[in-house]
Amino acid sequence: MTRRPNFRLGLAGLLFLGVSPFAAAQVPVAPDEEPAPDAALEEEAPPAVPPELEQPADTEEGEAPAAREADGRLDRNTAENWLAYGGNNHATRYSPADQITTDNVEQLEEAWHFRTGDLPPDDDPTMPPAASPIRYGFQNTPLKVGDTLYVCTPSQIVIALDPGSGQEKWRFDPELDREAMGNVTTSTCRGVAYYEAPEPVEECQTRIVYGTLDSRLLAIDAESGTPCASFGDNGAVNLNEGIGETLPGYVSMTSPPTIVRGIAVVGHQVIDGQYRDAPSGVVRGFDAVTGEFVWAWDMCRPGETGMPPEGETYTRGTPNVWTITSSDDELGLVYLPTGNSAGDYFGGDRRDCEEAYSSSMVAVDVTTGEEAWSFQTVYHDIWDYDIGSQATVLDFPTAEGSVQAVLVATKQGDLYVLDAATGDPLTEVEERPVPQGAVEGEWTSEVQPFSVGMPRVAGDEEITERDMWGISPLDQLWCRIQYHRLRYEGMYTPPSHEGTVFNPGFNGGVDWGGVAVDPERNLLIVNNNNLPNIVTLFPRDEADEREDVQGIGDDVPRQGGIYPQYGLPYGASSVPWRTELRVPCTRPPWGYIGAIDLETREFVWREPLGTGRDHGPWGLPSMLPITIGTPNNGGSVVTAGGVTFIAAALDKVIRGFATETGELLWEARLPAGGQAGPMSYVHEGRQYLVIAAGGHNSMETEIGDSVVAYSLPSN
Amino acid sequence: MKARRSGFGAWALAVFAVVLVLLGLVLAAGGAWLVALGGSLYYLLAGLGLVISGILMLGDRMAGAWLYLLVFVATVIWALWEVGLDGWGLVPRVVGPLVLAIVVLLFMPVLRRRAAIREVSP
Repeated sequence: MTRRPNFRLGLAGLLFLGVSPFAAAQVPVAPDEEPAPDAALEEEAPPAVPPELEQPADTEEGEAPAAREADGRLDRNTAENWLAYGGNNHATRYSPADQITTDNVEQLEEAWHFRTGDLPPDDDPTMPPAASPIRYGFQNTPLKVGDTLYVCTPSQIVIALDPGSGQEKWRFDPELDREAMGNVTTSTCRGVAYYEAPEPVEECQTRIVYGTLDSRLLAIDAESGTPCASFGDNGAVNLNEGIGETLPGYVSMTSPPTIVRGIAVVGHQVIDGQYRDAPSGVVRGFDAVTGEFVWAWDMCRPGETGMPPEGETYTRGTPNVWTITSSDDELGLVYLPTGNSAGDYFGGDRRDCEEAYSSSMVAVDVTTGEEAWSFQTVYHDIWDYDIGSQATVLDFPTAEGSVQAVLVATKQGDLYVLDAATGDPLTEVEERPVPQGAVEGEWTSEVQPFSVGMPRVAGDEEITERDMWGISPLDQLWCRIQYHRLRYEGMYTPPSHEGTVFNPGFNGGVDWGGVAVDPERNLLIVNNNNLPNIVTLFPRDEADEREDVQGIGDDVPRQGGIYPQYGLPYGASSVPWRTELRVPCTRPPWGYIGAIDLETREFVWREPLGTGRDHGPWGLPSMLPITIGTPNNGGSVVTAGGVTFIAAALDKVIRGFATETGELLWEARLPAGGQAGPMSYVHEGRQYLVIAAGGHNSMETEIGDSVVAYSLPSN
Repeated sequence: MKARRSGFGAWALAVFAVVLVLLGLVLAAGGAWLVALGGSLYYLLAGLGLVISGILMLGDRMAGAWLYLLVFVATVIWALWEVGLDGWGLVPRVVGPLVLAIVVLLFMPVLRRRAAIREVSP
């Protein structure tokens, strides 16, 4: 691939081209936790690395597959398993499996294809209607532990599959409240958490723990899928306890918990832009065996980690943790990427405690729920630049040697590297002046932090009129006119009545797909978007009159991209910036994948990701497989064999790149959109690559219900 | 004296010329707005070029075709100045005008014939 593969189009180019970036809605988000490390780690100094983990696992044929992770650790995966959403609690998205290599990856073929049967139920007459249309996003990254692959579908059905054949072993349906499914922006389940109790317990020695869109934390037996009756109330914990006034789906979990030292750390999404008086963004710790409440991190009740007193609630309207958390199990810290306060695009009335923690990475002691450190990536965030990306824990090379670090990738395109224990930046961070002048009642921070010691992955160049795109001179002209009429003075231009260009837009930069690390090659793999959106504020009285401005619980279903912000002086709209033909107003590439050398802190390679073959003007597929670099959603998996796999882009394709050079080595068509992180494991001596291909409503990709596995030919 | 329109080519030429005028009007109007906003002059100038070119072609004048081709060449030069050899950047700027240029080239024999008729008509 060339860096700009572009110039080879002729007339055909006229036809292809469209991209339908995310419809308006913000990708929903919810937090969760992951499987906990073993109890042995809890009280004492970290034990030596178990012998079988000291070297990359050998995956040659004939090796006995690992059964359970006997030590219960979830912070490092072997070739045989994928223990947590990001592969492990460190969220490295690295698989030590090395059977598939840069030399043989081109032979990769479909090993099995499983259909979950979970498709959007709105046309199903046997189902009761939901208040709002149910929108699906199959964003799941399965887990693989022992002899089972655990898949979670958009209606949060957990399905156990045979990892070698894709045969279903059992399924557990939580029978979600359909009103909650309709109220969330996208009905999805990014993943579940696996936990193995270190001491003998009466049931569910190994279990799957996950949260639902209708505010429950569930535990089911990892062997049978039966609810663990001794967990919470007959297998479920009510996450609305202490929340106060709420509505179905308002407090919802779309991301898996992180389980460390026997504590399941649970965040949740709170639907964006509805009421200022919204449910709290509190993050809670529950005993992974009993479901008992252990602590709460409620940012506006510092020092108090218990439940709110009788008659009170967790602090309302605070930033929530919707995305995936991660942890350093040896430090006993869980890393919480926070969003921003309720009423995302207006912050005139925020409390100091909210201001201190919005759009931050917060490290919380998993045993006590007390804050260890926090690092803020946006001051007074009125752009909804919440951190969508899971923190990745890695060994970071510095002049003083290797340091255990947390890598934080933001929607603004910054990559921060923080000391995992202290939160101190390990690379240079600079405060720079940013545009000023906000609407009445609002204020702006004079400066914002920029991670100048690491490459930027988005937002590095200011948009100019020349960057206007479209498919023809006519729509390009219209985009240019808009460019001059909208407010835009560079990154962090405040929201306005005339409409402000947010660049990068709400999908980033880097969103929930996160980043991946190759510890052998010392490379950081990052895929990102590069597409602005337009945010417009309108006064309260106008918002209350407009029929298209509806919120959660209103009689009329709310629309994507419209935020009533009840209780604040302004409502807001947030839409992708594109022409009437649904073609972006800014030039491609709109999405990239690249590798950054952790030593030199520079890109080693970077390529546009994705073709326009499945999208085009008027939403019609162009059928032209020419690389353009589309918006993307979902992460990658890096394998010891030197191949990085990713789908994510708008075309229904999964690709394998040489991790070291970026060379495109393999690709396969998917049955539906691949807006999910792939994963890889070895089972019975054979390496598999697995991806959930079920599309994403707001990315406007084809919806489906497939889980597809690839492997090398068996002979 | 106008040459009577007969045959497919002549009518197609007339339709194309009208389309060119309409496209030119939209570009010129939007372009004038863009100039007023402080933006590029290109769209206004190109729009005017298309309008005049279309009117000339309606009058069976070869000069209309040459004018369009001049606008096209200027468009390519402008596009290269704006985005260099960035293929995707050139697409919206050049592909549409190129399609029109090819159509103009295809119409040149028709124009030539009709221009000749016009000259011999009293």
